[in-house]
Amino acid sequence: MHELRPWLKLIFQRRGRLIVGALLLLVTLLSGLSLLALSGWFLTETALVGLLLAAGSQAYINLYVPGGGIRFFAVSRTVARYLERVYNHNTVLQLLTDIRVALFDRMASAGQRERGGKTGAQWLSRLTADVDALDTIYLRVIAPAGLAVMVSLILVLAAWLLFSGTLAVGVLAICALALYLATRRVFTQTRPLSARLSDQQEALRGDVIEHLEGYAELTAAGRTGKHAGWLMRQARSVSRTQARVDSQAGWHQAVSTLLVNLAVVVALWSGAELFHQGQLSGPVLVLLPIALLGLIEVYAMLPDAFAKLGGTISAARRLNEQVTPGSKLGNRTPAEPHLINGNALIMRDLSVGYTGQAAILSHYSLTVAEGERLGIVGASGAGKSTLADTIAGILAPKDGLISALPCAYLTQKTVVFEDTVRANLLLGNPKATDAELWRVLELVELASRFTDETDRLDTWLGSAGNRLSGGEARRLVLARVLLNDAALVILDEPFTGVDSETRKRIAPQINRWLEGRAVICLGHGPEALLPSGHTVHLY
Amino acid sequence: MSEPAQVDVRQWLSGLARNSQRWARLTVLAGALTGLATILQMVLLAWLVHQIIIEGQSAAGLTSSFIALIVALLFRAAGQGMQSHFAARCSEQVRRDARRQLHRHWGDAGPVTLADASAGSLAREWLDHVEALHGYFARFLPQMFLAAIIPVVILALVFWLDWLAGIFLLLSAPLIPLFMALVGIGAEKVNQQHFEVISRLSGQFLDKIRGLTTLQLFGQTRSASDALHRRSDQYRRITMKTLKVAFLSSAVLEFFASVAIAVIAIYVGFGLLGYISYGPSADLTLFSGLLILLLAPEFFQPLRTLSQHYHDRATALGASAEILARLNQPTGANTSKPKHPQATPDNRISLSNVSLHYGTGKPILRNLNLSVLQGQSVALTGPSGGGKSSLLHLIAGFITPTQGFVSVFGNPPGQLAFGWLGQRGFWIQGSWADNLRLTCPEASDIAIESALRRVGLGSMLESRAQGIHSQIAEDGQGLSGGQARRLSLARIFVADYDLILLDEPTAGLDATSEIVVLEALHKLAESGKTLVFSTHHNALLALADRTLIVNNGEVRDA
Repeated sequence: MHELRPWLKLIFQRRGRLIVGALLLLVTLLSGLSLLALSGWFLTETALVGLLLAAGSQAYINLYVPGGGIRFFAVSRTVARYLERVYNHNTVLQLLTDIRVALFDRMASAGQRERGGKTGAQWLSRLTADVDALDTIYLRVIAPAGLAVMVSLILVLAAWLLFSGTLAVGVLAICALALYLATRRVFTQTRPLSARLSDQQEALRGDVIEHLEGYAELTAAGRTGKHAGWLMRQARSVSRTQARVDSQAGWHQAVSTLLVNLAVVVALWSGAELFHQGQLSGPVLVLLPIALLGLIEVYAMLPDAFAKLGGTISAARRLNEQVTPGSKLGNRTPAEPHLINGNALIMRDLSVGYTGQAAILSHYSLTVAEGERLGIVGASGAGKSTLADTIAGILAPKDGLISALPCAYLTQKTVVFEDTVRANLLLGNPKATDAELWRVLELVELASRFTDETDRLDTWLGSAGNRLSGGEARRLVLARVLLNDAALVILDEPFTGVDSETRKRIAPQINRWLEGRAVICLGHGPEALLPSGHTVHLY
Repeated sequence: MSEPAQVDVRQWLSGLARNSQRWARLTVLAGALTGLATILQMVLLAWLVHQIIIEGQSAAGLTSSFIALIVALLFRAAGQGMQSHFAARCSEQVRRDARRQLHRHWGDAGPVTLADASAGSLAREWLDHVEALHGYFARFLPQMFLAAIIPVVILALVFWLDWLAGIFLLLSAPLIPLFMALVGIGAEKVNQQHFEVISRLSGQFLDKIRGLTTLQLFGQTRSASDALHRRSDQYRRITMKTLKVAFLSSAVLEFFASVAIAVIAIYVGFGLLGYISYGPSADLTLFSGLLILLLAPEFFQPLRTLSQHYHDRATALGASAEILARLNQPTGANTSKPKHPQATPDNRISLSNVSLHYGTGKPILRNLNLSVLQGQSVALTGPSGGGKSSLLHLIAGFITPTQGFVSVFGNPPGQLAFGWLGQRGFWIQGSWADNLRLTCPEASDIAIESALRRVGLGSMLESRAQGIHSQIAEDGQGLSGGQARRLSLARIFVADYDLILLDEPTAGLDATSEIVVLEALHKLAESGKTLVFSTHHNALLALADRTLIVNNGEVRDA
């Protein structure tokens, strides 16, 4: 359970809202319960008085109080339910924001995590699912469980006051057992299953994606049918596990309902005895069993939610792993200019590579003077991007010394945010004026692309920039880096996806723009670089 | 992909339902049992109360009735448990069928058409969208039946007890379809809004996470976090406006259920007092009055449950629309597969009068006649977009010609297993051995190791403790593009195919990988395999026995 602690802490920051929401829920539940109980009381009272009247005796009945009460509860149940739904939905949406923002902040400060090559999209989809699992924990688990305890205690108290202490203890024991079955026991029974379920599902997702990526090879080898059959068997095993979880929750709910119903029977039995002994009036005898019947609805929400809790906890655990500090970005303080004597970058005996893996480059030494142009050329897998990441400070060197001026870094991956052109560019330099933005767009030959748009700089770039072609997106992120005025600029494959005509036109312009700043340009061949003073080859 | 019509989606869903009625029927049966046991419970409860209070019986004297009540409760619990047990199994067959349909569609579409969609979204359809059908079949559909059965039984019973009270309930009965519609519209709206907001929020969040490194590099994480917060809040405020209205519809149902209880309580109370001088109320007893009261909430309960499950329906409809859109997508394969003239083994790949065009576009290949002898190495060259890849895909059987026949050693293309090396190498999470056994399950460890060495991956194996049984991505790092292509090549070596098709086998490769691929192709050609590859690479052209220029829908020898 400790996995949930940081998230519960976050949720409970909205204590005021949670309490108001819970109170509204309580009013709803109690109104429903009271409506039925009071009606039952009223009927019994009228039946008894009716008999007396029929027998010709004098009898008096106050119709206004119970009648008014019944009408009141009918309305309060409806109103409270409506208010509760609106209010709690609002709370859930706020929690949703809180959780996402908090997670983002934590991931941002935890630094970069090294992830295996092909898991990017999968990792993101899993992250989304995990966050979604946390969103509902208040409304599905915490509030209903808390209220179930509260309503049960109120009824036990009623049993004690109206009936007898013995009955109160009995009802307490039965309710406690029913509550235990509906919550804790469902949780412990399904936890291993739920945990396995989410692992199975993720494994299967990976396998389906691989099936599709390798579809041509599998088809050629005549293996698609066999492989698909294997996937189907896995899917079947997933749905079997799911069915077991559902079925467990269902049986627990059934038994907990049975127990509450038995509490009704016990209350009726003991009420009958008390009534027989003249210690209890008829209408009051009816009151408690009917109120207890209402408890069924209160408990019914619990087993399903607690069956999912196992999955929620796994989700929380995975999210916690995401926010444990990784290699921290910028944990290397940028060198003071005077410390490296007019150089932009000094590397001595540097080894680079990912943790837990052999170094891709070792004992590498390099010096880049201020204002110098350096090209680094190498085949794929030669370690260009790893080296660039190390220079930019995303990746800690395995060994050796590195000091560099603050730098602007164009990563190999093109990252366009779902936002306006302006917002995307301003990331590079938040203080840039519109004129500067247009100038840099002009430089990468994108200005005309947006002058034609009605929103110009406020043109919305759809999800992951999909309104731009690959080459346009590349030039946009290039423009973003160019806006930044760092003295060291690292460009990893600056022209990916940019056609050679455009490249030939814009490369010299960019070169001029960057005059006086040190530029390290990496690419698979000399033609992919800016005009460089000298070029280093990596093998 | 175009959205299919709602009607088609519903039709598709009911088609799926037809094949898996067993569990659904059992679920409804168990639900009905639960409902009947609940009614019986209420009858016994009301009767016991009447006996105790009006007839003055002692609890001990009513033991048998108490036992009957407990038996009814046991039945109710058993029914409830079984209902969820059966419901859990309800959609198993449905999901299996839907997945089979998707597999069939993938097979018909073939690797070429399939590659137009991202593997991620195809996998999401196969996995998550199909999974989303569960709630509809397990919860919503059975509850629909129960919402029709149980209220009718209760109504009949109430009529028998007191027809005037029955009329109160009945009066609300014509309102039930209205409720249904109201709840439906409301729930649908809530759902839609909720999901929209969640997906937007997720989108915003994912977008920022995806670009986290970039944000960090520019030192902009703080402002991104503020933007995330601001935008989320904005969405929330907009959503709440619509939700306030949407929740009203379920409040109406709640209101009617409450009012029905209140009205019945007051009517029965006045009847018992003898204040009502007409109708059947003179016959009311505590038993019948209390029973009517206890049944009133049960009358509305199935409907309220249904409204809780309404989101299952909306989710399933949304998911089905996407699945159906995929299934309706043209597969590119000509639906009427041309009959193959004869399947007599011969020693050549032949294309006779083959034409290929997509839709009404310009033909890719025109009236092509070509024959390649077994053991030949054929290079296809020509400008990009000239039809080289299409020709390879035809021989592979990944696409079918618009006209004419393709025959591979006397068989229809794709009938015999062959080696395929695409422009992107392919590897799965797993060991090296798993990767090779994917296409060649019977390969021995020795064959696998030697195949990997032949493609120059030996050094990678040596650095691992478990050799070919070690995980490829052991260190969290995968294979580079070149290494992945070499791995695919190793699959071809280990399987010993007669025909090997390669699409630009050296394009975009680093120098080491290029040498390895060239040497490997040389060896394959020498060992008498039939090789057909598209290329611009001079070294590869030199390796070919025959070079064909594919351009403008025509193929000619160079």
